[in-house]
Amino acid sequence: MTRILVPLAILEGESVSAGLVDLLAPLDVVVLGYHEVPEQTPPDQARLQYEERATDALADVAAEFDGGGTAEYRLVFTHDREQTFERVAAEVGADAYAVPGATGPVDRLLVTLTGDVAVSRIVSFVATLVGDRDIGVTLFLATDDEPGGRELLERTAAPLADRGVDVGTELAVDEPPLEALLDAAVGHDAIVMGERAPSLLSLVFGETAERVAAESVGPVLVVRRVEDEEDEEGEEAEEDGEAEESEERGRDEDGNGPRGSDRPSPDQ
Amino acid sequence: MGEPPPSATGTNVEGEAPLIEPTIETEEATITDDAELERTLGLPGGLSIGIGTMIGAGIFVFPGIAAGQAGPAASASFAIGAVVALLVALPTSELATAMPKSGGGYYFISRALGSLAGAVVGLSLWFGLVFATAFYLVGFGYYAVDTLAEVGVAVGEGPVIPIAVLAGAAFVVLNVTGTENAAKLQNGVVALLLSILVVFLTVGGLDAVGLIGEPATPERFAPFGPMRVFTTAALVFTSYLGFAQVATVAGEMKDPGRNLPLAMVGSVLVVGVLYVATIFVATSGLGSDTLGDLGETAMVEVGRHYLGPVGAFAIVFGGLLATMSSANASVLSTSRAIYAVSKDALLPRGATRINLRYGTPHVALGMAGGPILVLTATGRVELLAEVASFLHLLMYGLMCVALIVLRRDEPEWYDPDFRAPGYPVVPALGAIASFALIAFMQPGSRYVGAGIVVATAAWYVYYARDVDLKGAL
Repeated sequence: MTRILVPLAILEGESVSAGLVDLLAPLDVVVLGYHEVPEQTPPDQARLQYEERATDALADVAAEFDGGGTAEYRLVFTHDREQTFERVAAEVGADAYAVPGATGPVDRLLVTLTGDVAVSRIVSFVATLVGDRDIGVTLFLATDDEPGGRELLERTAAPLADRGVDVGTELAVDEPPLEALLDAAVGHDAIVMGERAPSLLSLVFGETAERVAAESVGPVLVVRRVEDEEDEEGEEAEEDGEAEESEERGRDEDGNGPRGSDRPSPDQ
Repeated sequence: MGEPPPSATGTNVEGEAPLIEPTIETEEATITDDAELERTLGLPGGLSIGIGTMIGAGIFVFPGIAAGQAGPAASASFAIGAVVALLVALPTSELATAMPKSGGGYYFISRALGSLAGAVVGLSLWFGLVFATAFYLVGFGYYAVDTLAEVGVAVGEGPVIPIAVLAGAAFVVLNVTGTENAAKLQNGVVALLLSILVVFLTVGGLDAVGLIGEPATPERFAPFGPMRVFTTAALVFTSYLGFAQVATVAGEMKDPGRNLPLAMVGSVLVVGVLYVATIFVATSGLGSDTLGDLGETAMVEVGRHYLGPVGAFAIVFGGLLATMSSANASVLSTSRAIYAVSKDALLPRGATRINLRYGTPHVALGMAGGPILVLTATGRVELLAEVASFLHLLMYGLMCVALIVLRRDEPEWYDPDFRAPGYPVVPALGAIASFALIAFMQPGSRYVGAGIVVATAAWYVYYARDVDLKGAL
């Protein structure tokens, strides 16, 4: 079963829209309620005061997801939410995480293949997500290499079309990738993208997915990176040691998870 | 890592019971019944807390005062302090890996020696940090005035205290309204300070051993006798108060079994070596009489002696940064100490309140800030430093005792990842050395310190006599 992590700043009233709940119905959902406290506050001190309130709110949200797949929730108090997302995603063996945004019923997804991302994982995630529902998919790619890009789009669209998905393609050549993506997002209800290695750009401008979510307003589903992709795709930036450790532990504790069994250990 | 000490019974006057929940500690999170607490501090963060808290006073405020009291043997005083700190750091590391919780020394002592000792230490730690912070702030005031002098505005020593009080108020406000990225900033400050000092020590060290520059007239090593070396050690022990602060954030440190001992012992070793070398270089450069006359900011003249105006500027700048980082780290530790005590019902529960707007513990920060400002206004550098040392040394000694008590009759929950070498000699020596150092303090500091201890014990008897925190031994 494909599993998705939905992090919510639960005490800041962040919630999920009905459209996103419907979209994620076929997946196993883990709602991650988090509260980020400043450095001068021990996380435990925040827990003492707000645990009950947060748990109530989380249970309500998780209940909304109680549709097709399973829904569970976890509550974390942290100084560093990105570390928390990574740890929990690895522990539960999530294939993707959702940046929630406002949306009505989802009729069409924009799937971006731009950049150094694992196309095959994204496509298989989209296939599971859409299932046999009547949701259209637009594959999007921003590139400087027009013939290569067109070929990639067609190669990627074919298996989806074979499964009966209404799939279209959109190619942006020589345009700023982010702006082109946001232009393309008009007329789509949600965006699917791949997680990228931490880049200088995302350090400066914040996580790309969150920028896209903020500027497109709708939800963004981010397909997680996993270790073995780095071998396949070569020159990606290496993740730091801690991330590798946590990935590894995640697999150990969740050995029968969806991608646990077939994933080689990073040091093999 | 095993289960924490299970038992805690009784209520305080207001009917509040200690909040103890079963938790599971993993390397990356503390898991309670319904929630997880992320561990986000790595080894660099831990080292930076330890070094950042310690490096301010020892190098930038004490050389003049210490050299005036002990002569060139001031470096021996610092070495004694380092040895005592190390003897305590090893047992503390073991306790911290067995109980990686917020609260540090207070937590260990209350679980091993019971609520009275815990309450005295916990509340004394609050005051100890308050005294230490006031001391750092006064040091900051001196450096601020010197900064003005370096840029050509001579104002004399009059504004030192007002500047220190203002800086203290600014810290508290900053901490209540949230200091985003202060820890990252702190790492940068520590790195910068270390590089300033390494350059300074390299040049000064080469000069001191006679390789470059003028040969200095040799001085008698301990012109005032060995007694003064020990009393000076007691005074400058404030320089080593930072390592135990690492234990107060034990609940937030990743892989505590490895990182806590490394951060505590590592930071003591780093600053110990730096202190001894710096004092040696300083006394070789200017002579202890001159240093003694220059007082709190003597290091600026030492910098000028070796490196000219650039050296003076680097030391002034370093002094500002260092006293600021020490003060800020101590304000944070104070609010954590109050939180730990309040969670155990030894203070009113209201002290743990957090405001949702900034997410900061405004009550605890206020309880730290108020007394800090009052004490800073007194401007009594040596008294502030010694009382801070007194209250910390009491805790250090008791932590060593706690280790011995726990090891003698090991309860089931006690399962440290790091075992201090040299049991029982190291903790016994640590306890004796800590208490002995108190004996070398000035009478005035001892009276103030003892007064605080008696007051905290009285508070416990009045407020929380029924609370029993002792982990099943």
